[in-house]
Amino acid sequence: MSAASSPASPAASAGSAAAPATAADSYGASARDRTAARQRPRRRLPLTRGARQRLAADAALLVIAAAFAVPLLWLVFASLDTHATLRVAPPHSPTLHNFSAVWTDRITFTPMLNSLLMCGGGTLLTVVCSALAAYPLSRFRSRFSRPYLLTVLFTTCLPVTAIMVPVYALFVQTNLVDTLWGTACFLAASQLPFGIWLMKNFMDGVPVVLEEAAWTDGASWLQSLTRVILPLMGPGAAVVTVYTFIIMWGNFFVPFMLLITPDQLPASVSIFTFFGNFGTIRFGELAAFSVLYSTPVLLLYILISRRLGGGFMLGGAVKG
Amino acid sequence: MSTTDLTDAGQTGPPPQVRMRRRMRWLPIAPATALLLIFLAGPIGYCVYIAFTDMQLTGQASPSFVGFDNFTRAFHDPHFVNAVVLTLVFTVVSSILGQNTLGLTLAGLMQRASKTVRTVAGAVVICAWVLPEIVAGFLLYTFFNRQGTLNAILDWLQLPHQNWLYTLPIIAVSFANIWRGTAFSMLVYSAALSEIPQEVTESAQIDGAGGGKRLWHITLPMIRRSIGTNLMLNTLQTLSVFGLIWAMTRGGPGDRSQTLPVFMYDQAFNNALIGYGTAVALLLLLVGALFSVVYLRLLREEV
Amino acid sequence: MMPVRSTAFPALALTTVLAAASLSACSTGNDPNTVKIAFRKDTDNKVTLADDYLREVAREFERTHKGKKVQLIPVQASQQDYYSKVQQLMRSPKTAPDVVHEDSFMINPDVKSGYLRPLDGQVKKWKSWDRYAQSAKDAAKAEDGKTYAVPDGTDTRGIWFNRNIFKKAGLPQDWHPDTWDDVLKAARTIKKKVPGVTPLNIFTGKAAGEAATMQGMEMLLYGTGSDPETHNPLYDEKSKKWVKGGKGFKDSLRFVQTVYSQKLGPDVDQALNPNMQTKVNADLIPQQKLAMDIDGSWLGQQWLKTGGNPWPKWKKTMGLAPMPTQHGQAPGEVSMSGGWAWSVAAKSEKPDLAWELIKTLQSRKNAVEWCIRGAQIATRSDVAKDPRYLKSIPGAAFFTKRVRHSHYRPKGPVYPRVSTAIAEAMESVTTGDTTVDQATRAYNAQLKSIANGAVTSQ
Repeated sequence: MSAASSPASPAASAGSAAAPATAADSYGASARDRTAARQRPRRRLPLTRGARQRLAADAALLVIAAAFAVPLLWLVFASLDTHATLRVAPPHSPTLHNFSAVWTDRITFTPMLNSLLMCGGGTLLTVVCSALAAYPLSRFRSRFSRPYLLTVLFTTCLPVTAIMVPVYALFVQTNLVDTLWGTACFLAASQLPFGIWLMKNFMDGVPVVLEEAAWTDGASWLQSLTRVILPLMGPGAAVVTVYTFIIMWGNFFVPFMLLITPDQLPASVSIFTFFGNFGTIRFGELAAFSVLYSTPVLLLYILISRRLGGGFMLGGAVKG
Repeated sequence: MSTTDLTDAGQTGPPPQVRMRRRMRWLPIAPATALLLIFLAGPIGYCVYIAFTDMQLTGQASPSFVGFDNFTRAFHDPHFVNAVVLTLVFTVVSSILGQNTLGLTLAGLMQRASKTVRTVAGAVVICAWVLPEIVAGFLLYTFFNRQGTLNAILDWLQLPHQNWLYTLPIIAVSFANIWRGTAFSMLVYSAALSEIPQEVTESAQIDGAGGGKRLWHITLPMIRRSIGTNLMLNTLQTLSVFGLIWAMTRGGPGDRSQTLPVFMYDQAFNNALIGYGTAVALLLLLVGALFSVVYLRLLREEV
Repeated sequence: MMPVRSTAFPALALTTVLAAASLSACSTGNDPNTVKIAFRKDTDNKVTLADDYLREVAREFERTHKGKKVQLIPVQASQQDYYSKVQQLMRSPKTAPDVVHEDSFMINPDVKSGYLRPLDGQVKKWKSWDRYAQSAKDAAKAEDGKTYAVPDGTDTRGIWFNRNIFKKAGLPQDWHPDTWDDVLKAARTIKKKVPGVTPLNIFTGKAAGEAATMQGMEMLLYGTGSDPETHNPLYDEKSKKWVKGGKGFKDSLRFVQTVYSQKLGPDVDQALNPNMQTKVNADLIPQQKLAMDIDGSWLGQQWLKTGGNPWPKWKKTMGLAPMPTQHGQAPGEVSMSGGWAWSVAAKSEKPDLAWELIKTLQSRKNAVEWCIRGAQIATRSDVAKDPRYLKSIPGAAFFTKRVRHSHYRPKGPVYPRVSTAIAEAMESVTTGDTTVDQATRAYNAQLKSIANGAVTSQ
């Protein structure tokens, strides 16, 4: 797999067009703009071929985006509507009543806190362990590297859902069941393979010469890791961190299986008990809770994508 | 890729301290390896063990070894066969056909679209992806419900109604998975498409190749490695989808949307047959392993 | 040169911490002065009658037992999910509650799995034990003859019907069906005369689980055959064999199929929803959208002031009729009895404290209070005579009369799996995916495997 471009490059490579090119973005369109601008003769025709294509693409994209947006609209509308139904309908009198109804300890605070502890701890564990593990894999040559990496990659691909029943039985035997930290460890372990893979790829992009400079100054490997490499692959490490957290935050099946006492349930599972309120149609509250529950990960994603072109880096790292 | 052999060994082999140092430098990999062994390798081993017993959740004093009974039972169980078929349908429709082509289409469209539309569309599609699985399940439940929005739209377009979650639950669930997962394919293909050099496309245009021909003969071959990667990762991820289906239909009605993960859970906990459920899980794992091996062989030259 | 010693520490330390942590997982961390009590919390957040009642009992317990605390563990799930969640809880000492609310039919299977603790020593020394009806004491015994639970009430079943809708349909206010056909006829009349109302609800499908089996299939099945009074259509006690589905089974399935295929019941997708019970209880009946419901004596619990959905008009609106046998053969009515009980988990670390809590739960005052709030039928003579109990629910007299001809479920430890198989058969004819014959065949095959071959024909 080719390594992702190092953090500075997406901004650097595509953007320096002289043409009325848009600001750089990783879709590569600005390069095209440049070419189109160069080629476009000064005609009076209302629409050039490029512009026509653009309009067609815009239209098609908008249709698709609209299709995707409909369920999201329900989320927004229903959360503001005390008489929310199953259909997407703007509320007659938007109110924050649903939010205040779910703004309680039992419904929102405790589960969200549990989610935070579980996912925060798990993410920390994953990031630290995968950074540590990626270092020798990236820097040292050994005949064990390749098999290790292949095994790691192989594990990435296994459906973790499939082992949840034995994991549950194992946790019962070792008394780890119904513990937040045990569940966090398992989540961390399940994210480790992908984390190691990504970290290693990002780390490969940091040239060794920079490290060697640190060594001549007498730094140990740990210091070179933390002071030289990690800052340089900082955006990469951030992407891994946020991505891992997002996946854990949304994970339903693992805490569903491994946590039983209601006090310990994270938001991804406690939301499920909401769905039991069928007989009394409380879709508004369900939507409000969903908004609260989803907000942290949405914010995180916006954060990394704005500062780092995050998702696109991910795509680049993965595409092979 | 940079590698450095950090010993200053000569032809005679490294001195003892250096040799120890060489071994110690692999220590950082220990925590990760420990976690993987304890929490992944361990359960997989245990999975293999339980699959050959008749362990139950209730009504049983202690489990006993039953050999291949669970597996023979599975192959003769019409519900198991149904689950396999549904899983295939689900994977093909939502992953191979749905997410893959839609992702490629979106990536292609985005290359040509204007910036605002691109940002908005990208944001919406990615939002669907970032949203937690259970929330997505509920949203799409309300969308596909008989009294939900899809039927409202169909009414408005004067098209016939359907009770999606009841008559065609596997299709509804597949579309839900497409909604949820397309963003990933879109990102992968965007990165891949952006690496195709401008000149190649231009020269093809100059040679008179139309859009379709360009796509088939130039674009697709150039990104074929990405296609392979994406297909593999998507398919494997789709095999393990549980929460989405559980929230939308619980595998029902009957077993009309009971894919393998849902079937496995149902057997283990609702029917209290932990041994049998685990045997099904093991089969699912084997299928995943098979796919992974194929995938790795495709990638072999890259590592 | 790279110094190694100081840098090996972080990695080693992390590994050690992990290892130590996993070893320390072996201790359970349970506070010896806190007794944990697990019970089912209704999926409707408004319904807190169990929580409220237990909180009051807990306060009383903490007052009379200085220094001891009670921790409530509400398991919010549908009834079917509750069973497996509690079983999961009881598997390990760390998560096992001390006192657990068990549905009586789960006692045998859970005893077999070693989840429950025998209470013979305790009940022998307890004054109140003699006041329990013999049938209740039997329900709390497992196959080994030992007592494993203290019942807190029982229930019977019949047909609840809405008098207003019956009036509109021209049906009698004191309706009393004699055969299954009478029930179906009434349903058809209502369908014609009162559109927009669901004529009859009979629970069905896997999601409803035991409710479908007990309020649905068994209410029908135990009314078939030439001698419903003494003949058990499901399990032969003498030979200890399960009875294969025969004519009675097929006729019962056909009844269910008729209700759903002729649209005399709720919409199928609604009926198969896991929370149909909540919907019937909290929505369809109080909103008067359902004419008849084959359901249990506890149904009124939510409509009381202490319930989650108070409905003062229910006493005037709802009528009650016994469920008839198939052709009206003696004794002319069918009812099933179940009931819940309090047990001590085998893996509990404070069984004595747990027993103290159970005694408090079933003190005379608290037992009466629970029977009233939970709309339970009394299983103890002193509660049955209590004037507050007798006055509390108008249906009490009706349902208590049903006890005489009420049947209990088979006690075999594999009953839960048989129940699931029955519910599956019901579901497949409800959705129309199979015919009655196909469903019966599939059920018989499953029964054979569940019972390990110990089956017999009727």
